[in-house]
Amino acid sequence: MRDYILFYLNGKRYEVRGEQAFMSLADFLRYERGLTGTKIVCAEGDCGACSVLRGEVLPEQDELRYSTINACITFVHLMDGTHVVTVEGLQDEQALSPIQQAMVENYGAQCGFCTPGFVCAMTDLVNHNAYQNPKGQTHLDEKQIRNGLTGNLCRCTGYTPIIEAGKAVNLAQFTPLQKRYNSPEMMAELRRHRSVPIRIQAGNKDFYAPLSYAEAVTFKQAQNAQIFASATDLGVQINKERSNPTVICSLNLVPEAHALSESGGVISVGARVTLNELEHFMRGHIPEFARLLKIFASPQIKNKGTLVGNVANASPIADTLPFLFVADAEVELTGPNGKRRVNINRFYTGYKQLDMRPEELISRILIPIPDPADSLRLFKVSNRKDLDISTFTAGFRLRLENDLISQIAIAYGGVAATVLRLPKTEAFLQGKPFNLETFQAAGAIARSEISPISDVRASAAYRLKLAENILLKLYHALAPSPAEAVGV
Amino acid sequence: MKTKSLPHDSARGHVTGESVFLDDRPLQRGELHVGLVFSPVAHGKILSVDTSAALALSGVAGVFTAADLHHNLWGTIIQDQPLLADKTVNFWGEAIAIVAAENRATLAAAKKLVKVEIEALPAILSIDEARAQEAFIAVERTILKGDPDTALAQSPHRLDGVFENKGQDHFYLESHISIVYPLENDQLEVHASSQHPTEVQHLVSEALGLRQSQVTCIVKRMGGGFGGKESQAATFSAYAALVAHKLKRPARLALSKDEDMQTTGKRHPFKDWYSVGFDTEGRIQALDVKLFADGGAYADLSTSILERAMLHSDNAYHLPNARIVGRICRTHNTPHTAFRGFGGPQGVAMIENVLEEIAIYLGKDALDVRRINCYQGEEQTTPYGQVVVNNTLPALFDRLSETANYAQRRTEIQAFNASSQTHLRGLALTAVKFGISFTSRFLNQGNALVNIHRDGTIQVSTGATEMGQGVNTKLQQLVAEAFAIPYQNVTLLPTATDKNHNTSPTAASSGSDINGAAVVLACAQLQQRLKACLLAHWAQPVRGALEELSITGQEDTSQILFQDGYLVHKDNPEQRMAFAEAVNLAFFNRISLSGYGHFKTPIPGYDRDAGKGHPFLYYTNGVAACEVLIDRLTGELKILRSDVLMDLGRPINEGIDRGQVTGAFVQGLGWVTTENLVYSDTGALLSHSPTTYKIPNIQDTPREFHLELLENEEPSNVRGSKAVGEPPLLLGFAAWAAVKNALSSTHAHYNPPLRLPATAEVILSCLK
Repeated sequence: MRDYILFYLNGKRYEVRGEQAFMSLADFLRYERGLTGTKIVCAEGDCGACSVLRGEVLPEQDELRYSTINACITFVHLMDGTHVVTVEGLQDEQALSPIQQAMVENYGAQCGFCTPGFVCAMTDLVNHNAYQNPKGQTHLDEKQIRNGLTGNLCRCTGYTPIIEAGKAVNLAQFTPLQKRYNSPEMMAELRRHRSVPIRIQAGNKDFYAPLSYAEAVTFKQAQNAQIFASATDLGVQINKERSNPTVICSLNLVPEAHALSESGGVISVGARVTLNELEHFMRGHIPEFARLLKIFASPQIKNKGTLVGNVANASPIADTLPFLFVADAEVELTGPNGKRRVNINRFYTGYKQLDMRPEELISRILIPIPDPADSLRLFKVSNRKDLDISTFTAGFRLRLENDLISQIAIAYGGVAATVLRLPKTEAFLQGKPFNLETFQAAGAIARSEISPISDVRASAAYRLKLAENILLKLYHALAPSPAEAVGV
Repeated sequence: MKTKSLPHDSARGHVTGESVFLDDRPLQRGELHVGLVFSPVAHGKILSVDTSAALALSGVAGVFTAADLHHNLWGTIIQDQPLLADKTVNFWGEAIAIVAAENRATLAAAKKLVKVEIEALPAILSIDEARAQEAFIAVERTILKGDPDTALAQSPHRLDGVFENKGQDHFYLESHISIVYPLENDQLEVHASSQHPTEVQHLVSEALGLRQSQVTCIVKRMGGGFGGKESQAATFSAYAALVAHKLKRPARLALSKDEDMQTTGKRHPFKDWYSVGFDTEGRIQALDVKLFADGGAYADLSTSILERAMLHSDNAYHLPNARIVGRICRTHNTPHTAFRGFGGPQGVAMIENVLEEIAIYLGKDALDVRRINCYQGEEQTTPYGQVVVNNTLPALFDRLSETANYAQRRTEIQAFNASSQTHLRGLALTAVKFGISFTSRFLNQGNALVNIHRDGTIQVSTGATEMGQGVNTKLQQLVAEAFAIPYQNVTLLPTATDKNHNTSPTAASSGSDINGAAVVLACAQLQQRLKACLLAHWAQPVRGALEELSITGQEDTSQILFQDGYLVHKDNPEQRMAFAEAVNLAFFNRISLSGYGHFKTPIPGYDRDAGKGHPFLYYTNGVAACEVLIDRLTGELKILRSDVLMDLGRPINEGIDRGQVTGAFVQGLGWVTTENLVYSDTGALLSHSPTTYKIPNIQDTPREFHLELLENEEPSNVRGSKAVGEPPLLLGFAAWAAVKNALSSTHAHYNPPLRLPATAEVILSCLK
């Protein structure tokens, strides 16, 4: 057992004890270390001004793997065993890095408040494409730049100058973060600490990072602890003073929690598997789900957030849930008496109410890969296409036989207190011919099965209309000879 | 990199994280954290404010209310707003008390312990309600040209309609913040994130009962301003200053993004009723329009903003007969304030929508209607009587419709819309003619201080504040060019009221114009002295300790030029002296190396009572074409392509100007599409963070974007340049017009009741 968090910051080793371990990473950087390049704007992971790079130890790799995260909604204790690089750690000695130089020359900075975040996110993009996963490019293309910078807001430039800067970076001139920072000593030190559990108590705060689910369950039961997977949502709740958990149990050091695998047609997702890892994995297994994850959230959020977190958060607009519903996924709960599984369609009993006992934790999600004969289609409607919380979500799994709908599963989100299956609509469609009229008729039934509310994102009337229209979108998406290619 | 464009003078610090914003300053010994207690209702009577529990909390240094202020009323134009609400609260989020604590955690706890008892009263939350109750701010204004009543009656066609736009949050990344250090003798050093340091200085001194000479306001930079820090920033400095002055400790007030969005003013919502008469070609004969602005609870800058909306209700189009009436509604919303465009966007949106509707009514292409109405030649007059000269509008229309391939794309879009069951496309080309100058004449002045140091390097200070727009870089360039020295040898200093006083806000796109012209005047003084000194030296060098060169300031020095770091005789290039050497020559002969320039814009001004005058030095013009794609089943919108063409005179720094265009244009796109301010029934803003308030992100910018600048030297302005800050924002309206165009394409003469912003929900509701 150790009583400190170990991490590296811009190449320098830090042990953090006591109250400081509970600070947000952004506060720690700004107020304890004087690294004020990292800015705080929204304090909810939506603007990217606090972006920093985090290097993680991977099994059997002698270098770290870097990705961008939001420092405002993470905590020092969650940084245990990592290397954090801030904007202050990016210069090549006194010279600007190629990314920084390109931002200067292309007018990528105006007021400068978002700039450190953009520089960090662009460095991640360059480090990834030049070194971690090289594709032989000399320069980034516009699509990569847009996708990589989705999590950063700029109010001054209109982004064009930032895109130009990204395109101007010569990947060959970039020194990978691994080459600059990853010494054998750093690697050995980080690896060694991963097998030593942590307990930090300070004032009324208590932090525990055990090595197994069983120990986590025991602690949760004894201390009524809040489980932290990656805290992308909890971080927001804490910053906005809506929650203030004092007893925390982290699953970071539990090896099982990091496991992601496929066996016998079922994909198993551990509690600490990030959405980014999941997106990459799903490309080969369930491409439609990978496509949804692509627009799920920003890179910064996906590099940290987890599927289990999305399930545990129980939001009726959680983007992954309609898919999990129609895929008949199972939630594995671990408690004092071992494990049990609950079909996700029966897991939510009311708004933010789960079929889960206080001493249990979610250890895995098990997803059966849909039968190749089934078509899977997932929809997300939001006010802004990327990096926005959904107004309405829908998941469909259906099978056609001889132009008839032989099987169908429908789940909608954003239309009730929980994500819903639509049994009447499903029953109506069962056996019906696959044509536009069928789906038009189904719309009226779908409306009758839901009870959406008006809120800051949309009116109930709009959601009711979407509940109908999404069935037409489904039809057009699957129509054997699409009347046209949208193709724009 | 374009060789003639210097990078932004702070770019290096921005990309390394070294640039210091206010909250990056280290805490001083004893520095207090300051926060505000806000009204939780839109309208109510304050029954009591109990600060005892907060004061009793360990770590609370003080709690202050209205009674602690020397003078509790402010307002840039009309003093009608309390700094701290006393008897009544008039908007949700109005400040009631100031709390100062030793640390942020204690501050958060103490704010919750201030008990405010309020009796809620009925609130006016919309323009319609305010009109019904005749709740207005200031007087009605009118601009009248010709005889609109007769012309309307005689027009072959007439349309009557209503146009409505919502507000917009500035969403500068750096929320309002101020740090105040108490100095000796009751002096205060105020560090503000403000576009108007002079107003900060004046408000702080007035609120606290200090002399203006006891208060210095310093602005190094802002993390974005966009108008949101023109008037309203001053209040936050006053709150922090009260704490610093009363407790004699440094005080820092930093709003969270949620607080900032919930409690500060926005772009004004407008609702306009119009009648327009036109001929069969779509040529406007008369426009009769009433503009109603939601001013919020207090006057703020609303009278000037309404005035600019009225002055832009013609936009780029000639109105032979017009009646433009404007009124400000008093509601219980946040006092709405300056936002890039300053009323211009609301006036322009109104008339551009009218043109779109004329086209729908006549079944014509809206571009043809716009082109036929746009100002022609050099002699047509605006409704307020200013002649439109140096008129590039027809050329801009013609060039962009060609380079954007408008006609061919129109044909393709018609074919697409006829066949697609799932999507619609739309295309529109709109314009901007933006008047440059403050419409209050006295604001059109600026001063500059240029100090040459002994090594030949120069420090420059003006009243211009840097918020990312690059004004410092342009000023740096003007000075470096004046003396032909490397730009690295010119440093722009933080804006401070002890160096430049009685300054105007950095606003109305005029920062570079006014301050640049003042800098040029200051440099001219120094140029004259250095050249005269050198001429005297060449004529007769000093011989011995008792001699000294002297100059009169009246010498003809035209034979000396500044070239490549030297002062050179133009007829004899061999005769020259290095700049730094000339500086020392002047110094040892006791000649001043300090230049102070004062500039006033040469315009007659505007008579707002008469609705007539010549308010603007010149116009910045531009056009934009936008093509959009709409999902017919969800209403979701994509901007496929944008083409922008602007006349920016002869830019001082093209790289910076292009960045202003792309930034303003996308901010305009946000206003007309995704940025949706949603309020509760009781007047609280619900969309108060980026989770729910959607400014454009990098995926929302057009997939294809073309920007071209038309070079057209502006003879009346500094170095032939034109102002750029605001005008391109108004071109973002092209996206809205394209949405309307797409929606109208489903049925002949269908005029969709599209509101602004055109969110997915609004778009779907207009699909017929």
